[in-house]
Amino acid sequence: MNCQYCYDGTLAGLLTLYARLLAERAVVERISVTPLDQQSLFNSEISISADQAVAETFWQRLTKRLSDNSLKLLRRCLLADHPQQELLIYHYLLLEAEQGRKIDGMLAHPQVAPVWKLSQQVAREAHRYLGFVRFQQLQGGLYYATIAPDHRILLLIGAHFAERFSDQQWVIHDQRHGEGILYDAEKKEWLLLPMEVTAQPDLTPEEAQFQELWRSYFSTLAIPERTNLKLQQGKVPLKTRSCLIEFTV
Amino acid sequence: MATDLMDRLKILADGAKYDVSCSSSGSSRANSNGGIGSAASTGICHTWTSDGRCVSLLKILMTNRCIYDCAYCINRRSNDVQRVTLSPAEVAELTIGFYRRNYIEGLFLSTGVVRSADYTMELLIQAVRTLREQYRFNGYIHLKLVPGADPLLVQQAGLWADRVSVNLELPTRESLQLLAPDKSRDAVIQPMRQVSNLIVTNRAERKQSRKVPSFAPAGQSTQLIVGATGESDRQIVTLSEQLYQRLDLKRVYYSAFIPTVADTRLPARPEAPLRREHRLYQADWLLRYYGFSAHELLDEASPNLDSELDPKTGWALRHLELFPLEINRASYEELLRVPGVGVRSAQRIIQARRQGHLGIDDLTRLGIVMKRARYFITARGRYVGEIKLENSSLRSRLVDGPKQKRPVQLSLDLEQPVVDETASLITGEL
Repeated sequence: MNCQYCYDGTLAGLLTLYARLLAERAVVERISVTPLDQQSLFNSEISISADQAVAETFWQRLTKRLSDNSLKLLRRCLLADHPQQELLIYHYLLLEAEQGRKIDGMLAHPQVAPVWKLSQQVAREAHRYLGFVRFQQLQGGLYYATIAPDHRILLLIGAHFAERFSDQQWVIHDQRHGEGILYDAEKKEWLLLPMEVTAQPDLTPEEAQFQELWRSYFSTLAIPERTNLKLQQGKVPLKTRSCLIEFTV
Repeated sequence: MATDLMDRLKILADGAKYDVSCSSSGSSRANSNGGIGSAASTGICHTWTSDGRCVSLLKILMTNRCIYDCAYCINRRSNDVQRVTLSPAEVAELTIGFYRRNYIEGLFLSTGVVRSADYTMELLIQAVRTLREQYRFNGYIHLKLVPGADPLLVQQAGLWADRVSVNLELPTRESLQLLAPDKSRDAVIQPMRQVSNLIVTNRAERKQSRKVPSFAPAGQSTQLIVGATGESDRQIVTLSEQLYQRLDLKRVYYSAFIPTVADTRLPARPEAPLRREHRLYQADWLLRYYGFSAHELLDEASPNLDSELDPKTGWALRHLELFPLEINRASYEELLRVPGVGVRSAQRIIQARRQGHLGIDDLTRLGIVMKRARYFITARGRYVGEIKLENSSLRSRLVDGPKQKRPVQLSLDLEQPVVDETASLITGEL
């Protein structure tokens, strides 16, 4: 039997796939974005192309059916960067189709627990990045920050920064996923765009001063008698440090 | 000018870093009238220093000049350090500069006392006012109250800041008398009482009308130095309990004493009592979130917390008659008392068991940490502690952990084997 599916990587594509699969309660082994690298002899994956209309009706039905909590859970999982997230979500939706809103309380169910765990990971990382964004002031007044999170958390943190820095032009650039948020202080709007770096950012002289001040402040703050590098590394993992001013020279 | 500012910032941050409080939670301030900043009620940590403490606020002194001579303090009058001052305008400018780059969540402003308590308090208020009015800053501000300052100034401070605090410093009147002869216990307690009353009245007024400006919306906190004087944990935890109940404090911080200046009145310690501080925080959490009271955790027979076990496990070992607890029937309050089960875990168990009885595997899937909990619970009547519920053996198991069965390599030894009488071929322990 053929249980492997692939889609074009867009949300519309994924929703179209879910709509098709859920209608026939299909048994699925794998959902992937690109075709499999190594095709096995007896299986070949079925490719499904996006259908905007199908996707939209499916999404509307879903938002009506699901509770706010479930929707939040799914939204976070859709933003995750996990090899099996599409399949995990599918299993969750399958159970939901059977059980309806009862699924909200079924936290220990094997089809629910992994989805909850993944959504928790995404939420935790998003919260962490509320603190880990470091803006640098560029010539021309733009505040620019780069981050490299595991998951695509930009959509989860955009509103926070738009409120907090509503009077400054800023960009948060997710280099790992090649996208960024651009905030327009005049229109008070923000946009998620594909982004890439083409040149070194041109810093203001004032910026260099503040960075120095911050680094010296940061190193003064530690109490030598209490040094605990293991604890620090648990809180600020090495992979996040390249984008943090206080950990770069 | 930049290097001068950097030097001063260094000295003033160095003087403030022994203040533990760095939380930015409890206040939710929207960014109003086109200003800058907001306060998130959960609090946000921005980075962690090499001692593992979080940095969320720009924590500085306005000045490290001081008229007092407290034995434990690095800024005491008789200590030979360079004395510097930041002006209110400089404090505000620095805060905004850091804030715009998202380095910090707000400002924690403390100070040494210059000229008089009132004069110093006015300086602090001026800095905070500049931030709020001139820069329209809506981020988090934690302001220290100067003991002995005029009640009117205390009231003003609370209107500009999110949180205010006075440090009790030492748990008893006698210790304070010994180490901080210039400060009186009453001068410290008095503003705490006043703030507590003002918070209560403000809360009532704001229920009537939302237009009433909020007074210290993130409440007040205080700090105790642990290990500089001879108090027992029981005295400290009981004091904290009273502070939470009577003065409605948000937090009591504990600071393991680190000798920064030599003084004959202070104990000579090779190491800061960090473990003790940790246990006190655990006990503190049990008071605030787990429904424990101080006398349950400590009594005259055992006035100090166990350094080997956390206070909740210690309590459970003294009350084994209540365990094991069947997680499918236990109430929320009972679940909270199981070692290893926290507020989140208890809530998830309650929510999940509505859809059916939970087994041990379900608990693991729910994310419950079983390391300690396994000895104190049953699930569908099944007990997986693998050991009798009995104080001494359970205690040693909890302290040392279960014996690890390490895999042993089974290999052919090509050289002449050394005959070992104790080795057994059957178990593979060659």
